Amino acid sequence: MKRTFRNILLTLSAITLMAGLSWADTLKVGVQAPITGSYANEGQGIEDSVRLLAAQINASGGVMGKQIEVIPCDDQGTAMAAAICAKDLVNKGVAMVIGSYTSTCAEAAQKTYFNAGVLQTSDGTADSLTEHGYWTFLRNSFPNSAEAVFAANYMVNVKAYKNIAVVSDFSSYATGLADAVIAEVKKAGGNVVTYAKIKADSQNFTPVLTNIKSKKPDVIFYAGYYTDGGQLRAQQVALGIKADFIGGDANDNPDFMKLAGSAATGAFIINVPSPELLPYDVAKDFLKNYQATYGKLPPSIWTLMNADGMRAIIYGMEQTKSFDNKKVADFLMSMDKPLPGITGPLQFAKDGNRIGSSYMTFEIQADNSYKVVHAQ
Amino acid sequence: MDIFLQQLANGLTIGSMFALVALGYTMVYGVMKLINFAHGDMVAASAFVGLTIYTQVLGQATSLIAVIAIFLLSAMVMACVGILLERLAYRPLREAPRLSAVVSALGASLVIQNGIMLIWGPQMRIFPELVPQVYWDLGGVVISLIQVLILVFSLVLMIALYLFVEKTRMGAAIRASAIDQDAARLMGINVNSVIALIFIIGSSLGAVGGLFIGLYYRGITFNMGWQYGLYAFIAAILGGIGNIPGAMLGGMLLGLFQAFIAGYISSTWADAFTFILLILILIVRPTGLLGERVAEKV
Amino acid sequence: MKNLARLGFPAFLIIMAVLPNMLNSRWQAVAITFLIFTVVALSQDIILGKAGMFNMGQALFFGMGAYITAILNSQYGWPILVTIPVAIILPALFGVLLSGPIIHLRGDYLLVVTIGFNIVFVQVVQNNLGGITGGPNGIFGLDSISIFGKQLTDQLSVYYFAFVVLLITLGIMRNLEKSKVGRALHYLREDQLAAESIGINTRIYKIFAFALGAGIAGLAGTVFAAQYSAVSPEAFEFIQSVLFFSIVLVGGSSIPGVLLGVFVMFVLPEIFREFATWRFFIFGFAMILAMILRPRGIWPATFGKIPKFLIKESNHGA
Repeated sequence: MKRTFRNILLTLSAITLMAGLSWADTLKVGVQAPITGSYANEGQGIEDSVRLLAAQINASGGVMGKQIEVIPCDDQGTAMAAAICAKDLVNKGVAMVIGSYTSTCAEAAQKTYFNAGVLQTSDGTADSLTEHGYWTFLRNSFPNSAEAVFAANYMVNVKAYKNIAVVSDFSSYATGLADAVIAEVKKAGGNVVTYAKIKADSQNFTPVLTNIKSKKPDVIFYAGYYTDGGQLRAQQVALGIKADFIGGDANDNPDFMKLAGSAATGAFIINVPSPELLPYDVAKDFLKNYQATYGKLPPSIWTLMNADGMRAIIYGMEQTKSFDNKKVADFLMSMDKPLPGITGPLQFAKDGNRIGSSYMTFEIQADNSYKVVHAQ
Repeated sequence: MDIFLQQLANGLTIGSMFALVALGYTMVYGVMKLINFAHGDMVAASAFVGLTIYTQVLGQATSLIAVIAIFLLSAMVMACVGILLERLAYRPLREAPRLSAVVSALGASLVIQNGIMLIWGPQMRIFPELVPQVYWDLGGVVISLIQVLILVFSLVLMIALYLFVEKTRMGAAIRASAIDQDAARLMGINVNSVIALIFIIGSSLGAVGGLFIGLYYRGITFNMGWQYGLYAFIAAILGGIGNIPGAMLGGMLLGLFQAFIAGYISSTWADAFTFILLILILIVRPTGLLGERVAEKV
Repeated sequence: MKNLARLGFPAFLIIMAVLPNMLNSRWQAVAITFLIFTVVALSQDIILGKAGMFNMGQALFFGMGAYITAILNSQYGWPILVTIPVAIILPALFGVLLSGPIIHLRGDYLLVVTIGFNIVFVQVVQNNLGGITGGPNGIFGLDSISIFGKQLTDQLSVYYFAFVVLLITLGIMRNLEKSKVGRALHYLREDQLAAESIGINTRIYKIFAFALGAGIAGLAGTVFAAQYSAVSPEAFEFIQSVLFFSIVLVGGSSIPGVLLGVFVMFVLPEIFREFATWRFFIFGFAMILAMILRPRGIWPATFGKIPKFLIKESNHGA
């Protein structure tokens, strides 16, 4: 008994020691992303791109001499796991966190990072992300409100749809985007005939679509994610609903086409330019390296947005010659000249929002390629 | 009226999938008095097996024969898994306390579900469009080819099963074992073979259900078994667990119930309403709609 | 065996009391999780193991406690510790209300109904009933624990909060076993008919067990909310209930068994990162194997001071 007890104590102290002897001279970069779960391919894309950037930076001497150590945490696309991840990453002593993919997860983790002074950069587009006044948060994409203005203008003025149906799920991103689009459509003088909500991952959307059908809309604007969007589009066509389908930015994923099958043809998606349309040299380089390392292209633009977020923070550290996160954040939020990014010029407003958006409407072609039908 | 009929068609489609899966629960429960918690995961596994057969064995050929081959091969694979499941996880516990078998079933469910995840990965897999998107507009009600196929095939399978259980000697052996295993054994029935047979039939029907889910919704995930398993299980209780026509009726009714709740009340409350219905039924009529009133054994 | 219990139990408590001081914050967090889930599993044991009711919805009461704390803290500004009475009493009341009409259901039917309760609960909080549950995102950014207006932000205070809750739970379990209620529950689980015929009001005792288990789970929920300063629906999905159910039965409805189950399920995956993806797979196999080899659990509970020769190999579950 005594011996067992001593052994336990020894083991425990060994664990403590090992944990205490952390490698103090590395720069720890946390990745909080849905590495498993419904959005796994986006999450893995984020992790892959962070690892690629880290390898590149480490090969050229690290950040002011410090090598980057990547610490991933899987938030599974759920808020609870995100809150746990946040605690876990802070406990492991990360200086910055890249991700997460969904606004919900970014928001669930935000306060923990803020309290610990850890910089966080996410592609989450929910407007609420930058409304808490956390100096630690940098949005590497553009907020829903910007997309809503573009989408409403496209539907009301460009396409002149008379009756617009809006569908979203319950996530903070989707409800935020749907609410913003409805407000903007009304402002532009358009008519929203119905606003329906679906339960993510529930697969059977026919009852909701049947109700929408009775409202005879000209277009269905879907504000949720691609896993449901693809199935929604397929079921819409199968129910013979002739309305156009416009998916919000989170539908921009190859799986949307696979899920919708032949029904994908003719669907519209609104997003910032897709990776292959990016004209910048930084983008071409990064995509080439990504392709060479992983044998495939990034799953979507979001991967690159997050990579840009990480690049911006490291740029901030190098410019301020400091690992003081507050200084870095202050610098990034008041740059007078943008940093050339993979996804375009990178510049941040005082509230952590990224400045300057450029949206496009894509039409999915029969061969599943995108055709740009409208651009900002 | 269009809307009502459309919801009816939608409800019958998912109802027939529920019914196919519910048969697996009800047959096992009928004979073994065991909730086979792994059945829902077997259904999910069959969708993945079917997808792998399509991509690896059939080399992505799209034809009617390929579709039939997927169904036959997946049903065969799942029947083998079903027999294995019974031999390894349930047979050693036939004389054990009731709860031990329940825990074993839950364990089997975890093994299968996470086995799928370890083999095929945690992300959503996507079925190819094997059934062409053809649909007919019947005066406002639109019905697609896949819906018709699911409905017709399910009905054919269910009628065949009903005739098998009611009209053949093997069916009589199943019914006898369900009433009293010891007496059945004394009458010269090999109860072990009957149980194996039940697992073969239940798993193959579940496999068909799983493939329907894959073909109809296209997106399949390793953990979808719980969701469909639960619905099917509720369907089985609704109709009276252990009762084969009851499972068919329960499945159809549950499908319609969900479609109308989602269509007319709220899609976001469909699950809650489904379970409230179930709880009410269990309080008022614990043996389900078609179940006979028998003293419950604990 | 007896010696081990006599020595092992205080040793365990002493280790747990000094443990956090030797751990860094990451392992402290793991240890807190261990304490919380142990309390929930013990509360499940009162309903399932001690009273013999097939309850597969324990995450409902756990979640209810956590949500009550979160809502009272975030919406009404109550300090975390002040929410405790509500987080115990409301789940206990719900335990009475929910179990009342279904207590006569036996075996599998009770199991299915409790699963149903759990799923309805998750849907209610997901749908943001009354606009206070935060929908599918849940509620985040709760305050830290405070005593006399002083904020205790470090994890040690949460750890000792959880530890005290565990001690209270263990105390209740011990008293239960020695009390009239404990004996009554034991009889009615062994043989309900016989228990009724010697005048035990089984209905009352069963409802009492439900309420007690629900109240303790609710308290554990408060600790959970304090630990993560967040709650969200998926933490209380019924798969969690399945885990608690299995932990109690595989462990054998005894305190060491429950501790072992919680350790394997929630701590081992933290130690072996590779094990994390395999854990449910392995745990599933372990469940099957444990039931085949030891149908009454790995560490079966013994009741009171019944002489060994009086204990018949009975056939009841766990």
